[in-house]
Amino acid sequence: MINTEALKELIYKMADDQLILGHRNSEWTGFGPLLEEDIAFSSMAQDKVGQSHALYQILNDLGEREPDTVAFMRNANQFHNSQLVELPNGEYDFSLVRHFLFDTAEAIRFQMLTESSYTPLAQLANKIKGELRYHTMHADVWIKQLGSATEESVSRLQGSLDRLIPYAMGIFEPSPFEVQLIDDNVFAGEGTLKQHWQEAISLVTSKTSLNLPDLSLVEPIYGGRIGKHTEHLQPLLDEMSEVFKIDPTADW
Amino acid sequence: MYGGGNTFEHIKSNGLENEDPEKLAQFEARIERGEKIESTDWMPQLYRKQLIRMIEQHAHSEIIGALPEGTWITRAPGFKRKLALMAKVQDEVGHAQLLYSAAETLGKSREQMIDDLINGKSKYSNIFNYPAFTWADSCFISWLVDAGAIVNQLANARGSYGPYCRALERICAEESFHLKYGHHCVIHMATGTEKQREMMQAAINRWWPPMMHFFGPSDKISVHSEILMRWKVKMGSNDDMRNQFLDMYVPKIWELGFTIPDENLRKNEESGRWEYTEPDWEEFKRVINGDGPCNKERLAVRRTAEERGRWVRKALLAPKTEYIAPLA
Amino acid sequence: MESLDPRVNRLNLSLTELTSKAPLDQLGTYEVFSQLREGKPYFHVGPVHAPNCEMAFLFAKEQFSRRQTCAGLFVVETRNIQVSIFTEGEDTVYNYIDDQSEIKNGNVQSFELFHLKKRGKQHEHIGTIEAPDAEVALSLVKSEFINDKPVYNIWIVKTSDIEFNQEEDKIIWDTLPDKKFRDAIAYKAADKIKEFKERQS
Repeated sequence: MINTEALKELIYKMADDQLILGHRNSEWTGFGPLLEEDIAFSSMAQDKVGQSHALYQILNDLGEREPDTVAFMRNANQFHNSQLVELPNGEYDFSLVRHFLFDTAEAIRFQMLTESSYTPLAQLANKIKGELRYHTMHADVWIKQLGSATEESVSRLQGSLDRLIPYAMGIFEPSPFEVQLIDDNVFAGEGTLKQHWQEAISLVTSKTSLNLPDLSLVEPIYGGRIGKHTEHLQPLLDEMSEVFKIDPTADW
Repeated sequence: MYGGGNTFEHIKSNGLENEDPEKLAQFEARIERGEKIESTDWMPQLYRKQLIRMIEQHAHSEIIGALPEGTWITRAPGFKRKLALMAKVQDEVGHAQLLYSAAETLGKSREQMIDDLINGKSKYSNIFNYPAFTWADSCFISWLVDAGAIVNQLANARGSYGPYCRALERICAEESFHLKYGHHCVIHMATGTEKQREMMQAAINRWWPPMMHFFGPSDKISVHSEILMRWKVKMGSNDDMRNQFLDMYVPKIWELGFTIPDENLRKNEESGRWEYTEPDWEEFKRVINGDGPCNKERLAVRRTAEERGRWVRKALLAPKTEYIAPLA
Repeated sequence: MESLDPRVNRLNLSLTELTSKAPLDQLGTYEVFSQLREGKPYFHVGPVHAPNCEMAFLFAKEQFSRRQTCAGLFVVETRNIQVSIFTEGEDTVYNYIDDQSEIKNGNVQSFELFHLKKRGKQHEHIGTIEAPDAEVALSLVKSEFINDKPVYNIWIVKTSDIEFNQEEDKIIWDTLPDKKFRDAIAYKAADKIKEFKERQS
């Protein structure tokens, strides 16, 4: 028997990460440094929001409310996303580095989940492999290009990397159900994920002029998984649900 | 999305006396036979110039057109609308890219075109200088502005320039989702709560005058260019396009119980033409020349995006590759 | 100035006099070819501008396989495409290709051949030819095509100048058919209109 509470905790944080980062990515449409990047960020936004919907659907099957209600009616303290994804987009270097750090972890997480004992998760993980492959391909190509191009591009990326690493480590905030999930063969755990992630990102940054900080010396920024957020999340949610809340029972 | 309000340059002298008469005759014969002109074919200077101008305006209309609808991209209600609006606005940016490429085959780079847009030297569809106040405005744009654009684009896709026609074929295929999505949104507003109906009616009232402007000045006052018609650059008169749009969509708006803010709007069953109050062409001119509610904002957004992205583009410059005009 | 778009307000627009942007982003030009379904020929779909093949592939993926099914994609720098003359009517380009002369000894390499079979349409990938250079390559296949339907224009490219998608990356197109929210067919609402009209009358 899989522990349902543990399962829900895992799926909520994944779904909330995808929804919030998908929402942030969609803000780039019309403002990107190249038309090509407006389009790419929008594709990734659609993939992420679509993936979050699939996860909320699984939660719905586990007895939680409808995806629309869950996504549009909760307050910040009810969200379990990492603080990394809620930070405002900033300049392109900030969005790009965040996309690289997050999507690398996300691709590995879903890769691990392809072997999950919880079939709906394993099925979803298999289905979206291609989307995740594209996201990491996009991130890697861009990081390699801008991470070794001009003095300005390298120093911008380095600055964003230094700023974002502690938030990115917050993705792996220990879960109270870690042991349970591992024992139930649902998910091999945040610890393992973090290890793989570290290897994957340093493989990419090593091909650039960027310096990855010594992660053992970095103080991770936790809290997101238990509903503690920066001042940026609530306004994001208010904006996202502005029309929906005019009449939550209406069919839009 | 693009209307017929394209401002063709007034042709004072068409310069045709400087063209090789034999080549000109072959060129016109090819168009007459219904064949496409390709970038490597001989073409008169005037043809090249007017095509660049038209395709460029169309491309600008797509990227600027992404802004009024983009106003609601972070606020779309519910998953279904959120995903669809993202994809829809994304398509508009994709269309800009396709169209810039088509114009580039004629010898003007995307960079020069975007420069001219930011400098205010080249125009874009006037309707995007109006604001999208509520979610209902974005529904109006997705349905009816796109519908107007499709009327135009389908006509232009029968034009004579190969790369432009092929870009339009792709664009029209994508737009069919926009149109259905927009109509779907409006139907839900129409059949929803009292509040939703009110929002939608208000949006229709706001957007009707710019929608009538969308197809460009009435044939009575617009610059006629018999030669552009003959060369299949311009494919129909502004009034014909407007009439086609009214014929297809006014009944669909009425069917949902909405009113249109023009008491003179009716179809003359004898002539088959729609009658309406003459749109305010003075306002049209004023807005197209920069004095609309959102002109400043639209261009400032474009310029800000260019400025903020400059370091990225600088970091992409690669001496090993070469910019040349695309082949087709 | 307060914008109606919350995203624009976060951009901190400066509304000073508009200035032109510094000219700098003239990236290289690449032509893109895509295959709609496994086993079907590749067709030219359009150009992208990029600093290198890797990025050209990324841009091409977005632009030309976002909304249409895709089973494969490749890009080639435009300047590496050799283009023949255009012909008309019943006249095929192969009439202007030299007959096969004796094969020169030399390093043979492979070339990809593209035909334009109808004016106004797009070039189609025909196949691969091993030859010492492009001219010889065309003369080698002349006999095969000269009595066929006319070919109005030929593109020929060294295979080594082409950036193909990696076989294992083909999964990036897997979920495309599932994205129903981008299909017109997902937006049926005739029932709602009918119900509405019945309520009105």
